[in-house]
Amino acid sequence: MAWISGVGMVRINRHYQKGLRDLAVEAASQALRDAGIDGVDYVVVASSSSYKQVGQLDLAGYTASYLGLRGARSLAVEAGEASGLAGLLAAYSLVASGSADTVLLVGVDKLTEYNSGEAYDMIEGLYDIEGEGFYNIGHAGVAGLLMRLYMHEYGVDRLTMSYWPAVMHANAKQNPYAMLRFAVTPEKVASAMPLADPVTLLDSYPLGDGAAAVVITKRPGQVRIAGVETATGLPSPAHRDDPLYLESVAEAVSRLGLSREELEGIDVMEIHDSFTITAYMILETLGLSDKGRAAKDLAEGKYTVEGGGPVMNPSGGLKARGHPIGATGVYQLAEVTMQLRGDFPGVKVDGARRGMVISMNAMGSSAYTALLQAE
Amino acid sequence: MSIARHWRRRHNLYRLIGTRCRSCGRTFYPQAQRCIYCGSSDVEQARIDGEARLLSYSIVYSVTDEARYEAPVILGLVEVGGVKLITEITDASPGELEVGMRLEPVLRKVSIHGESGLIYYAVKFRPAMGGGGSGED
Repeated sequence: MAWISGVGMVRINRHYQKGLRDLAVEAASQALRDAGIDGVDYVVVASSSSYKQVGQLDLAGYTASYLGLRGARSLAVEAGEASGLAGLLAAYSLVASGSADTVLLVGVDKLTEYNSGEAYDMIEGLYDIEGEGFYNIGHAGVAGLLMRLYMHEYGVDRLTMSYWPAVMHANAKQNPYAMLRFAVTPEKVASAMPLADPVTLLDSYPLGDGAAAVVITKRPGQVRIAGVETATGLPSPAHRDDPLYLESVAEAVSRLGLSREELEGIDVMEIHDSFTITAYMILETLGLSDKGRAAKDLAEGKYTVEGGGPVMNPSGGLKARGHPIGATGVYQLAEVTMQLRGDFPGVKVDGARRGMVISMNAMGSSAYTALLQAE
Repeated sequence: MSIARHWRRRHNLYRLIGTRCRSCGRTFYPQAQRCIYCGSSDVEQARIDGEARLLSYSIVYSVTDEARYEAPVILGLVEVGGVKLITEITDASPGELEVGMRLEPVLRKVSIHGESGLIYYAVKFRPAMGGGGSGED
């Protein structure tokens, strides 16, 4: 059994004034303060792009040192965009197994040390470098392929697709930790500059820097980690019979052993909406929306505080809160924890008891999920 | 991109060599020592060829620095002899593309290595010559 006893987040932004270490120490210090502790057994650091963008190796060791946690055990975890939740798996396992009483999990990444072309070069490495990653896929090319496939297969028009970013921006506007705190209309999303047509600039996450941290402990508290699961998938969406179905996400979530009613009864979720199409693929893979229906469900108000179904991404999601690649999963954990404690400083899901995080790399090369429970 | 890696993969990239599993019968791209579907190590190299069709495409403007002179890149989800793969589409303007259209393979430049100037080639696909148009049925 393990509980989350503290959280910390730095607003995602282009932090030209702050280095990778500054961001990590800032978020970690907040989490330690929130938990009311000054020492931990282990520091687990989740990061992905920093290894190429910043070039610092043994990131966990240096982070622990500069936190002043001299002698603490440290461990780094990398799983591409899913690094943050992969870090949770490590941290949770250490506590649940009795190897540690308290673990500090820090997710940190920096995408703005160089120009965006360099960032795209790093992000291409999230895909199979001996498969589609050899070609000029950019950061959004595979999302573009899947989005057109979806629109063609289910007859969904560009404007209907555009509701997800509009809802995410509305949520992020109220989240002080979000990078994009402005509203956009579906019309504006549809007509924005193309990145990988039909994907526009407003279908994509922004390139930003960030760090978030959570403290995981064996001491019972307000928010219990009720489950952490993971599954790997086929290397490319092209290998799947249905490229739009995320088998790794389906398998990871099914390993939590929830009934259909329990899944539909979850109060709040933070899911991996790297692109508009990714969000719809997750909602349909989970069976929360019928195939081809996710965009329409959202346009009709589902997945919001006012509508039905679990509230999706009250933070604004990867789309608008931001997506500092390896740090994102830890933001999602911190946000869901605060929703269950009732102190999230943005769109609140009142009385939320059960929350879920879903994270994955690329288009599902691996997927991770966590179930949190208010005690 | 690494020069050594490209050299090592030249046959794979120039002739579109994938993997066929003798155990479960599935064929996939790229080359692998074990089947990604069933885990069997009873696999052989297989040329990915046969009728090719465009299942989906994307016009990619946001590319890496190495590929900036190639932009916009047309990326395609292509089915070749029953095997799906993600590749580039060439010799076509975006307006000519149609989901379901017939394609054919062709060897083309993918990018130029920044420091050495080495040109990386690989198989891409272009609209099939000799008509046929959209094969959507």
